[in-house]
Amino acid sequence: MEKLIEILEEIEDGVDYENCTTLIDDHYLDSLAIISLVAELEDEFDIVIPTVEIIPDNFNSAKAMWEMITRLQEEG
Amino acid sequence: MTYFSVIYLLIFLPVVALIYNILPQKHRWKLLLLASFTFFFSISKGLIVYAIGSTFLIHYIGIWLENVQEERNRVLKEAEKENKKKIRADYLKKQRRILTFGVLANVGVLLVVKYTGFFGENINSLLETMKVSFRLHIPKILMPIGISFYTLQAVSYIVDVYHEKIKADKNLARLSLYLTFFPQIMEGPICRYSETAMQLWEGNKITYESLKSGLLRISYGMIKKMIIADRLNKFIGEIYTHYGKYDGGIMVVGMVLYTLQLYMDFSGTMDMVIGTSEIFGVKLPENFKQPFFSKNISEFWTRWHITLGAFFRDYIFYPLSLSEPLKKLTTNARKKIGKYYGPLIASAIALFCVWFCNGLWHGAAWTFIFFGMYHFVLILSGKIFEPAVLWLSTKLHINREKAWYKGLQIIKTTLLVFIGELFFRATSVKAGFEMLGKMFTNFTLNSFKDGTILKLGMDLPDFIIIAIFTVIVFIISIMHEKDISIRKEISKKNIVIRWTFYYLIIFAIIIFGAYGLNYEVVQPMYANF
Repeated sequence: MEKLIEILEEIEDGVDYENCTTLIDDHYLDSLAIISLVAELEDEFDIVIPTVEIIPDNFNSAKAMWEMITRLQEEG
Repeated sequence: MTYFSVIYLLIFLPVVALIYNILPQKHRWKLLLLASFTFFFSISKGLIVYAIGSTFLIHYIGIWLENVQEERNRVLKEAEKENKKKIRADYLKKQRRILTFGVLANVGVLLVVKYTGFFGENINSLLETMKVSFRLHIPKILMPIGISFYTLQAVSYIVDVYHEKIKADKNLARLSLYLTFFPQIMEGPICRYSETAMQLWEGNKITYESLKSGLLRISYGMIKKMIIADRLNKFIGEIYTHYGKYDGGIMVVGMVLYTLQLYMDFSGTMDMVIGTSEIFGVKLPENFKQPFFSKNISEFWTRWHITLGAFFRDYIFYPLSLSEPLKKLTTNARKKIGKYYGPLIASAIALFCVWFCNGLWHGAAWTFIFFGMYHFVLILSGKIFEPAVLWLSTKLHINREKAWYKGLQIIKTTLLVFIGELFFRATSVKAGFEMLGKMFTNFTLNSFKDGTILKLGMDLPDFIIIAIFTVIVFIISIMHEKDISIRKEISKKNIVIRWTFYYLIIFAIIIFGAYGLNYEVVQPMYANF
């Protein structure tokens, strides 16, 4: 989770990633930021994020992202 | 019959609502479907076959995709572990072929109906330039109402079935209602199957609350459309058609007021659409969220025509950016030019496709393609220069969270939007540049001093009415931005205040609405796209 927060801060600084649950809804992360984020996450956590996973529910908070990452890791 | 016509507002809608509430719940969807077909037929007559054809097609494609998915699951259950990957890949290929056929068939019809004339004329112009005597025969094809909107809904449905986000709908009538629901067929919003299909099918009763709330939303839309947008129509038409006659001062007014007209027209129609649906207990997605409070163009497009932006994002931008070739490009580029600019290359390619499609979707003309490319350049350059802006603001000790900084960002974004909409409305790209050029080379206030501005289709009272109601809409927008719902606030007040408010709205529309002998009936602007 710490690594995830680090990645998020690198992409868009100055957001309270620990508590924010509206990263997409409140435009903290736009679609270009999501592409950078997906590339970083795939690289760092050795996962493949398919298009179908790119929904606000999976990216609105760091917690939701972490849940998606662990799920995709388990699915292999 | 359009949403703001007397026949729709005083006969069609009340009759449908009345019968709807009398009918037993299980039969209400039938009325909505009949009303939708009647509405469609009243505008496009026999061209309704396009929508019916599209419904049959996606119904079949959806079921076909689901059958393949079920077969895959059965085969996977019995397969050895080492074979599963190959089985998945084989079935994915099969599904992709079906999806491609479904998307091409739907989009193909849209392309033929909407763009044959445009491409034909451009090819003929090219042949003329090359001094070739051969000319293409360009057939005149009539376009059914709403095809640009329901085609995107049809595509989203089959893509969502392909991704197994939703189950294929076996019920042809429900699918048909999802595509052709009468309040949204002309201008959207572009809905996803998962958002509206079941709501439309449920046949919720019209309650006093849903009726009141829906009517208030409709009234707000009528204020925007009939008092502001329609009043501006003649004035804007004169400036954009005969721009050569006027100075730069008039060009500035024309540019600003056209953006105002487009916003009031389109968002007003959306209020009408969403309000009507609310009466029937159907919640449609919002299409506008105070776009003129955006701090950059990227944000603007998440607040203006939201459902179109979301469609392009989900069905073009992400699938392209995350496709195998572009993912590979991202991986390589990240190693060579870093974590920030690396992913930007793939994003730029996807973004170009999005904005080319967005421009072309709005209409078959170079002005729309230019409009799309203009936004592509703005969004991409915003991203390219973002690190430099951040560096500079840190060096200059500028706090980007301060209100003044955000205010400047909002003003900058609004100015860029004005310029984009100028080209959107201009009669040609050349005309757009000439109009823009006049603002710098021929700017004078003479037209204001000698009264020319009051002879272009609007007099002083018209300007005053527009100013007053624009301020009212602006104040309401600020309240919405602060999450304050006027409808909820009003409903808390006592009966005297409530009904005074309702009467004020009714009289405002009756007295200040732009209709009568001096005004032409103005069709909702986005209905032409």
